[in-house]
Amino acid sequence: MVLTDLYKGETAVVVRLAIEQEALKQRLLHLGVKEGKMVRLKAAMPFGGPVMVEVDGQAIGLRRKEAASIEVR
Amino acid sequence: MYVALFGNPNTGKTSLFNCLTGSYEYVGNWSGVTVEKKVGVLRQHGVPVVDLPGVYSLQPLSRDEGVATDFLLTEPCSAIVNIVDASQLRRNLHLTVQLLEFGCPVVIALNMVDVAEKRGVKVDAAKLSKYLGVPVIPVIARTGKGTNELVHAVLAAKDKPHPAIAIDYGAEVENAIRRIAEQLPDDVPGNKRWAALQFLEGNERMAAYLHGRFDLSPLAAIREETEQALGYQAAKHIYETRDRWISEAIAVTAIEFEQKPLTLTEKIDAVVTNRYVGLPIFLALMYVVFMLTFNWLGTPLADRLDAFFSGPLTDWLSRLLHWTGASPFIKALVLDGVVAGVGGVLVFVPQIFILFFFISLLEDSGYMARVAMVMDRMMEAIGLNGKAFIPMIIGFGCNVPGVMAARTIEQPKERLMTILALPFMSCSARLPVYALFAGTFFAREQALVVFSLYVLGIVVALGLAKLFSSTLLKNENSLFVIELPPYRVPQALTLWRSTWEKGKGFIRKAGTFIFGGSVAIWLLTYVGPRGVGVPMDDSLLAAIGGLIAPLLSPLGFGAWQAGAALITGFLAKEVVVSTMNIIYHVHEASGLKKVIAAQFTPLSAFSFMVFVLLYTPCLATVAAIRKETGSWKWTLLSIGIALTVAYMISLLVYQAGKIVGFP
Repeated sequence: MVLTDLYKGETAVVVRLAIEQEALKQRLLHLGVKEGKMVRLKAAMPFGGPVMVEVDGQAIGLRRKEAASIEVR
Repeated sequence: MYVALFGNPNTGKTSLFNCLTGSYEYVGNWSGVTVEKKVGVLRQHGVPVVDLPGVYSLQPLSRDEGVATDFLLTEPCSAIVNIVDASQLRRNLHLTVQLLEFGCPVVIALNMVDVAEKRGVKVDAAKLSKYLGVPVIPVIARTGKGTNELVHAVLAAKDKPHPAIAIDYGAEVENAIRRIAEQLPDDVPGNKRWAALQFLEGNERMAAYLHGRFDLSPLAAIREETEQALGYQAAKHIYETRDRWISEAIAVTAIEFEQKPLTLTEKIDAVVTNRYVGLPIFLALMYVVFMLTFNWLGTPLADRLDAFFSGPLTDWLSRLLHWTGASPFIKALVLDGVVAGVGGVLVFVPQIFILFFFISLLEDSGYMARVAMVMDRMMEAIGLNGKAFIPMIIGFGCNVPGVMAARTIEQPKERLMTILALPFMSCSARLPVYALFAGTFFAREQALVVFSLYVLGIVVALGLAKLFSSTLLKNENSLFVIELPPYRVPQALTLWRSTWEKGKGFIRKAGTFIFGGSVAIWLLTYVGPRGVGVPMDDSLLAAIGGLIAPLLSPLGFGAWQAGAALITGFLAKEVVVSTMNIIYHVHEASGLKKVIAAQFTPLSAFSFMVFVLLYTPCLATVAAIRKETGSWKWTLLSIGIALTVAYMISLLVYQAGKIVGFP
């Protein structure tokens, strides 16, 4: 399952960041999105726009394509 | 030597800087507000303090983040103040560890302890201090609580040698650190271990720094060997090791550690980032801002100011000049040149400050980051990302800080496109022109007409970006991640300071550029090819304006006055109004309106406004574009595109309008 498969408000554990872009991966790590972390899908923008997730009580916006490369369970 | 302020974005770093230095700095609640390092002086102690852009780590991803790393590499510093958001301790400490490894004396300002407690995080500052081996001072930067203690701690720690911490990174990495450190020169910034670690992590700025000094290939070979031995990237290993060290630190020092989201922020976000109403709410907010700026609040205030300039002020000055026995030349220079030119622009101060106030309000509240997210889908479609929207909104105030704020965009191509699109965002200096023309010809629909110009600017900016992204600047690796900080109620003082910080440039410009420009323009109207004190139509300015007038005639404004105003408008766009004031010999906007009503038609007035909106960026913006792109080619291209686009659209507006039958 990937992050974008979650329902709005659902929580899951990050299993793997299957993101190719090194810079993006670094940024997500520094924002606290990494293996073993609990993430919650808070909102999704329309027309395939970004999703809003919550990690450590902090909200982060990222594009759906990248969110779909974050495997969760 | 500087005391340097380091911290993650959105941790209240600039607020703390304001408390420490008592200076008027610009504070914003979205990453990248500090676009360049700012220097202030520590209150009562005369120690220079530098405020650096917020970073999550010393490995920069964007150009503004590079400023922080470069500071450590090139500037000597006597102490580092590391501001840490207590509610986001784990994330913030990643930067702290890298600063502790650097070896300069560090003092930690543990900020937002009040907010942290609400979020279920409580840290024992004394224990944390013991664990990290540096002073930890709890502060509330928003109110200034704890800053005295912080200043004392900094003064005590400053300039004293401080041992760097050494975390055990495991056999492979430790071995690599040792081998790299052996090859590094003795004068490397910080210490060799720090430099070696940063290199192993893949810090580009560190590599660039070392590259100028010696051959990097043996070092890169060591990194490769290490990564083979580890089976994955050294950066990942280093990150994980630090993360474990931080977990240990938190386990030992935290009293409570839950990290719950703030409920009020949750509630607001549920509405403003809602997939259906998020965008309409943003548009409605912008509409209200425009109505307040132009119709409800700004215009009545501007009218009062105008009445004061044209009535009492002109009378006093005229009496004063008479009393001092000034010559007719000086009288004409002051009243027809300076008062008309400078006063004609100063009249718009209320509208400009109202607009800046709302931009500050959006920034300080934390809403701007949401706007970036809400707009990202649209920006992605044209090849930019949501973060580019923030410089564009700042560009509504003034294009220069907008161009600089584009530094927060990670991808160089997206950054360049944002810079090229920015001059089409209608800045406040264009406002006096709209206010004058729309006020004259479209008094009832003023807000709507001005709003349509802003929209036109946005459409042109986005259209050009789309054109660039699908031709010259194809970009496969678009990137967008943004932190959405908790909302906070902006403080009156901070809000006033950031409004003033932005708006004072306008007033300063009126006192310098526009003052000088007005004198020069008036002199150009006073002298002519055939002597001095000539009638306006025989003046030098008429000759210059007349050169380009035939070119402009298909756009609906072929008089030499319009041409002259546009040429001088390159200095600053509000000079267009100053020039017209001088040319038409009037001191106040109401008189000018009558003259303009005779010279323009509603259609040609609209065409003129469109031209002023789009034609060449002003001198200051051109300088900023040159500095930020580092290329004359792109700068000249930007001017060329602007002139072409302005001409084409004005032509289209005027000719199509004539065919349809507009007056």
